[in-house]
Amino acid sequence: MASPLVLLPGDEVPTRHLPSNKSNPLKLGPGLRLLSQPSSTSQNTQSQHVLAATQAGILTTDVKRNTVSLLSFPNRRYIPTVNDLIIAQIHHSSVDYFHCMVTPHTAHALLGQLSFEGASKKTRPMLRQGDLVYARVLSIGLGAGAEVELTCVNPATGKSEPGGLGPLNGGMVFDVSTGMAARLLRASSSSSEQSESIDGLVVLSELGKKLESLGGFEIAVGRNGKVWIDCSNAGESAVKATIAIGRCLQTVDEKGLGPTDQKKFVTRILREMKLVS
Amino acid sequence: MVGPTASLSNLSRADGSASFKCPTTGYKILGSVNAPVELPGRRDALKPEEATVEVFIKPGNTTAGVGERYVEGIIRTMLQKLILGRERGFPRRGVVITLAIVGGGAIARGDSYLTLLPSLLHTSLLALLSGAVPMSMTYSTALVAVSKSNVIISNPTLVEAKAASSLHVLAFSSKGHLLLNESQGRFDFDTWKTVQQCAHALCRGVDLPEVDGDIAMEAQGDSGTAEGFVRETVENHLYRDYAWKIDTE
Repeated sequence: MASPLVLLPGDEVPTRHLPSNKSNPLKLGPGLRLLSQPSSTSQNTQSQHVLAATQAGILTTDVKRNTVSLLSFPNRRYIPTVNDLIIAQIHHSSVDYFHCMVTPHTAHALLGQLSFEGASKKTRPMLRQGDLVYARVLSIGLGAGAEVELTCVNPATGKSEPGGLGPLNGGMVFDVSTGMAARLLRASSSSSEQSESIDGLVVLSELGKKLESLGGFEIAVGRNGKVWIDCSNAGESAVKATIAIGRCLQTVDEKGLGPTDQKKFVTRILREMKLVS
Repeated sequence: MVGPTASLSNLSRADGSASFKCPTTGYKILGSVNAPVELPGRRDALKPEEATVEVFIKPGNTTAGVGERYVEGIIRTMLQKLILGRERGFPRRGVVITLAIVGGGAIARGDSYLTLLPSLLHTSLLALLSGAVPMSMTYSTALVAVSKSNVIISNPTLVEAKAASSLHVLAFSSKGHLLLNESQGRFDFDTWKTVQQCAHALCRGVDLPEVDGDIAMEAQGDSGTAEGFVRETVENHLYRDYAWKIDTE
């Protein structure tokens, strides 16, 4: 594809851009909807359905998984979707639930007091206002205005799957755009050599290499545009390293730096903060 | 003629934002969109199955008054029809659009608001697009004045608009519907018909014979029209945001 196709709301997806995989049904990603009326001007009367965009975005298709979706602006608001990993902040606690903030100015999401790994009435974590949890969206409810429910445990196995779900202690949270958060998650789920070619993100592997001598760092990425970073192994320079990593991620996000610029920027920041010579 | 200028996602804390400058009237508007958000204390006023659209206009040098309320109403009614308020996450939530007039002459109480309306509408469209609010279609608007000697002036300046015998603001959807028609002054139907044709040409270009989906889209791509301008702005911004993806392909 020379230049990718940009659709505005109301534009129809041209049929020649759809993956021609007939083995399994076509899946629609966000930003697209199926309209069952053929457009009145359409000349071919066989197609009874059209795919129309509802947001502005770049059309992307995945032939292998037979999906079409729109890549919209990266700084949009996060809307909870089942199975997304998010970083939520406890607002208050009630008898059965922790009420958590996922995005600003939206209703609180519910996190069961007992939906943690190995939690029972006596061993449940005592989270207080302002504490952070890494959680998975369990359900988004049915119908309008339904409550979002989170969980830190897989209800089927009783384990925190995927690993790392649960309260986040120490560290610091940085805000990034939702698009950047999705990119970071995708890059971390594929192997490191692949991620370079897929998402053009080398900032994390570069930081990992440079900060190895300090004891490395822990990172948790929430789809709601939050990144939690902890460098408690780094001893005295823990705070400095945390800030440096956060600044690197935020700048890469804001300025849209390419791979070589990312490497240069990481080196510059670490030198400025006197973390590496 | 100098075209309008616009940029997207200027504000980092808003979900979507855009700024728009109209060269002929000189107005500069900064718009932000937050959606979907909880509207506090309005549970009774919300529609049970749909999103509520709220529009706020802030003049640069004074508090909002009657004129602003009036224009807010016009914009809200129009956008409510275009925003898909039943998409996931939107029912019973609010779509809050804030438009600040940051540059250009002030509109005194009692002055016509029609000169400002196209800029406000374009800013809200760009901000809604940048906030990825689901919409059924886009639109474009134009301001047309008819002078005392019955000459049609497209994109009039403020002086021309003040001297005109009638002023018209028309908005067309990307599918060709007439979405909005606000007129003031004395005019007859024949004049309005010519005004409508003129505005249509400004928004969507010269009438092409209707063609099938993607061919029509490429034909619209010419940048002289208001619709082409919106498309170009969005495309440029998306190409920049996704440069990392496009370069690797």
